[in-house]
Amino acid sequence: MIAKARALLVRWYSIPLLLLVWLVSVEGGLTESRLLPSPLRVWAVLVEDVGNGTLVYHAYVTITRALTGFVLAAVVGIPFAALMARSATWRNLFEPIFFLGYPIPKIALYPIFVYAFGIGAPSKIAFTFLECLYPIVVTCYFGFRAIQTRLIWTAQNFGASRITVLRRVVLPSALPSVFSGLRVALPISIIVVVITEMIGDSIGLGYYIEVSGIRFTFENVYAAIVVIGVCGFLLDRLLMLFRRRIVYWQKGESPLRA
Amino acid sequence: MSRTRVLMLNWLVPVAAVVAWEGFGRAGILPQYLATPSLIVGALWEVAQTGELALALGVSLYRVALGFVMGTVTGVLAGLGAGLMPGLRNFFDPIVAFLFSVPKIAFLPVFLLLFGLGHASTISIIAFSGFFPVFVACRHSIMSVNPVLIWTARNMGTPPRTVFFRVIIPAAAPQLFAGIRIGLAHAFVVLFAAELIGSKAGIGVLISYGEEWARYDLMFAGIACFAFLGFMSDRILIAVRRRVLRGHIIGTEEQGVR
Repeated sequence: MIAKARALLVRWYSIPLLLLVWLVSVEGGLTESRLLPSPLRVWAVLVEDVGNGTLVYHAYVTITRALTGFVLAAVVGIPFAALMARSATWRNLFEPIFFLGYPIPKIALYPIFVYAFGIGAPSKIAFTFLECLYPIVVTCYFGFRAIQTRLIWTAQNFGASRITVLRRVVLPSALPSVFSGLRVALPISIIVVVITEMIGDSIGLGYYIEVSGIRFTFENVYAAIVVIGVCGFLLDRLLMLFRRRIVYWQKGESPLRA
Repeated sequence: MSRTRVLMLNWLVPVAAVVAWEGFGRAGILPQYLATPSLIVGALWEVAQTGELALALGVSLYRVALGFVMGTVTGVLAGLGAGLMPGLRNFFDPIVAFLFSVPKIAFLPVFLLLFGLGHASTISIIAFSGFFPVFVACRHSIMSVNPVLIWTARNMGTPPRTVFFRVIIPAAAPQLFAGIRIGLAHAFVVLFAAELIGSKAGIGVLISYGEEWARYDLMFAGIACFAFLGFMSDRILIAVRRRVLRGHIIGTEEQGVR
């Protein structure tokens, strides 16, 4: 019991320590409290705005947009990657677009999305879709290509139909890569939605942060950051839960990916 | 498939897209905000002659380079520390785990107030955002160095310094480069957002001027420059990595690079 508490303390001491330093330096008047509001004020604002639903509403807007774009990208990207991996024509047609386009900062295209889809949710969702599509397609593509051909041969030898080979051989062996692609794309979806909301919108957490910054109420900025952090963490856990359910034969969980 | 056929397929989609863009644009079918490629080249030439382009490019490049270097250096140092010393690891891990999925751009209002609208706020937020992927990659790469290699070196009486420089660093380098590459991609995203939201110079501003004055050719010229800058810096990083990791076989075949 004591050993367990000790281990927990050693592992997590830095967050309470930082909070304490923050609290002491603000309350002690060492820093400008307007710039760095005391954690107690942040907590108070957090409780208040979660309680009256403001932050819940904005978080709901942001997360809905992020997840819509993310799910669309997964639904389109995974079959597309499979197609690219299994057909030479498709591969030659689209490989340059994905591999040369990968390092291009796609955020620069956001103004065009605003013209094409308007300033509201559709442009954000469409842009999130694009940003998530790249990591998903590229990672899944490698997963589908890395399948050992002898597994497919064996299945075919046993008289498996194309559909059975796809469902029972190709898909299961590519699933771990599919999940790592999804795991890279998930935080990207949240980041992209918040950025685009900061650039221009009237709802969502990005807007909340931008407006609080302009009003110099930095406790609200920090409160929103806490909300984003918690949402990102929970969504990642949820994805890992799915992964453990679906890829049940692979026990070791991949570490926090960059 | 013959080489020429592969090459033809590779270029088919991009070339067809540009030709269709130009053709439909001239025919007046496309909406006004999609300036045709010929107009964009004209706008590029125009801003190149007035010197605006060089100035904007210089400003953006200066910011992204300095921010990226600062983020990478601090990320590598902290990552090395965390990888080698359990005490430091316990300090950084909870903080990074929480902040990793938070869009770092959310801190922009705070940085703007701290450092003003000029270079300093943009550079520091780029560094802040680049720190995390580099830190995570560095920490994990150090931790995942095969202990047998270290034991072997120690067994042969290698001093700790040599073990560090000749065993740990080379073994960790490929994964480290993967993290640095992600940091570079983040740097450009943050640069763009920071220049659109709070700045008075750089390519992001060129794009937003084009937007405001309905000079869509200028907007696209800015977008093209931004994409080119991002693409080229990634290529340079890959070239550097190829140099540094010459002779490495495992881990150099990174995803998304050809």
